[in-house]
Amino acid sequence: MSKYLDLSIKEIHELLVKEEITPLDLVDEALNRIEDTKDLNAFITINDKVREEAKNLGKVDKDNLFFGIPIAIKDNIITKNMRTTCASHILDNFIPIYDATVIKKIKEAKMLIIGKANMDEFAMGSTSETSYFGSPLNPHDKKRTAGGSSGGSAAIVSANIVPFALGSDTGGSIRQPASYTGIVGMKPTYGRISRYGLVAFASSLDQIGPMSRTVYENAALLNILVGEDDYDLTSANRVKEDFTRLIGEDIKNMKIALPKFFISDIVDKEISNKIKEVISYLKEKGAIVDIIDMKYLDTAVTLYQIIAMAEASSNLARFDGIRYGFREDNTKTVDEMYTKTRGEGFGDEVKRRIMVGSYILSGKNAKIYYDKALKVRDDITKEFARIFKDYDLIIGPTTTRVAPLLGTSKDDPHKAFMDDVLVIPVNMAGLPGLNVPIGKNSENMPIGLHIIGKAFDEALIYKLASFIEEGF
Amino acid sequence: MDKLSREEVLHVAHLARLSLTDEEIEKFRVQLKVLMNDIDKIKEVKDYDDEEMYTPVDTNARLREDVVGEMLNAKDAIANAPCKNGNFIEVPVMINE
Repeated sequence: MSKYLDLSIKEIHELLVKEEITPLDLVDEALNRIEDTKDLNAFITINDKVREEAKNLGKVDKDNLFFGIPIAIKDNIITKNMRTTCASHILDNFIPIYDATVIKKIKEAKMLIIGKANMDEFAMGSTSETSYFGSPLNPHDKKRTAGGSSGGSAAIVSANIVPFALGSDTGGSIRQPASYTGIVGMKPTYGRISRYGLVAFASSLDQIGPMSRTVYENAALLNILVGEDDYDLTSANRVKEDFTRLIGEDIKNMKIALPKFFISDIVDKEISNKIKEVISYLKEKGAIVDIIDMKYLDTAVTLYQIIAMAEASSNLARFDGIRYGFREDNTKTVDEMYTKTRGEGFGDEVKRRIMVGSYILSGKNAKIYYDKALKVRDDITKEFARIFKDYDLIIGPTTTRVAPLLGTSKDDPHKAFMDDVLVIPVNMAGLPGLNVPIGKNSENMPIGLHIIGKAFDEALIYKLASFIEEGF
Repeated sequence: MDKLSREEVLHVAHLARLSLTDEEIEKFRVQLKVLMNDIDKIKEVKDYDDEEMYTPVDTNARLREDVVGEMLNAKDAIANAPCKNGNFIEVPVMINE
């Protein structure tokens, strides 16, 4: 069987340009790999028109690195005429009538959507076990989770079924599964990529981002995803830039901060030790790495719980059984139809979050919880700004432990949040953050480094990430 | 074990427009209490200023130009409705006689 998909996308592109292979060869190889890795349960829907689309792509464009490259899409990003479920029973028959803005961009770049990736229901969870379609497995150890909520996307790239996937990150949902599965995952700055067509979970936190095998390929994909969009008024109007441009540059005198909290006793010893090795390496190469105090990091999970659950309860009000999705039949009144449809259609994690979210926003609770969380959120953002006056980047481990065994956080509503304790602060401040693999632990499970940058400074994150990927 | 009352669970289920089975109510009495304890930790944060942050976007809201764009046709707009009749969506009775 061919192994073109094991090559870098630059190498694949050269073969396409030389007409040694066609996009159909890549798609057929990907479909074979999907068949061979079925037990990973990484996909919810396979694009049954993808072979036809590959045949109709036309002549290879030699200046377009992404021509004919297959990609998987997290199933909360809507795709015209292709089922989009959010891994929920309530949407399991939903066929979108338009494309998300990122999907338009993917199609304009002539990439081929191979299918829709499994995930936590409505992106709520940290192990993808809340999926209505069963959990995806970690390719490094099938008894373990691939993380969440973009667990299917992570498993697909990690198993090298296709070179790319899109994920979404509300409180770590790209970076944490990337860490658990040993791949590169970027949550760009809030506003960098249009959220139009991303099914909303917590609107002030959600961001789409690329997941890939290498840092360079991640940065290259980000190049085609970004841009202001009239359909998302929170999308940012920025000068066009090449995110790969700093890759390969020296990191001498780069100033890097490591907050004490990120290497405190909540982090597994083997992971802390690996981080210390990275620090020694960076210092040896001329970077300045300081361990610093940073306030409010320990409050981020509480803030996240309040803000994300409140916003989710409001966003998920639209699933009412009227305009789309599942409807419970045999109900006598509209109220009964709403409550029974939602009671039947949502899973436990979603139910818990929208109940607590509704409670948070009801009456005077809004002031006690939501308003106060927004105030502390402002402080954590200012605290990041204070650190970034003196430092170029902040680093730490992406997760406190390697991928846990499946089933360990089931029915423990608290644990689902604590898995993301190190990555959530970034969403509070809307900053960009990336996971890059830095080796494995004694059980042969991947460990990831988390790199946080200033708003819109993704290129610098890629520079450091690539340096570590190359040399460490 | 620390848990909510049955009535408290039914209250938040009503706010979220969810019908729950008896089994679910019992399960959520414990699980929701765990989350309620979690969010209560916000009360312990003392050192903060009064400015609120609703969104990380610091630019002013902008409006797009007021021009006619693409529109959905009725057929597409209701394509996913689970219960429809012609160009209409069917729902149960809303007003009692």
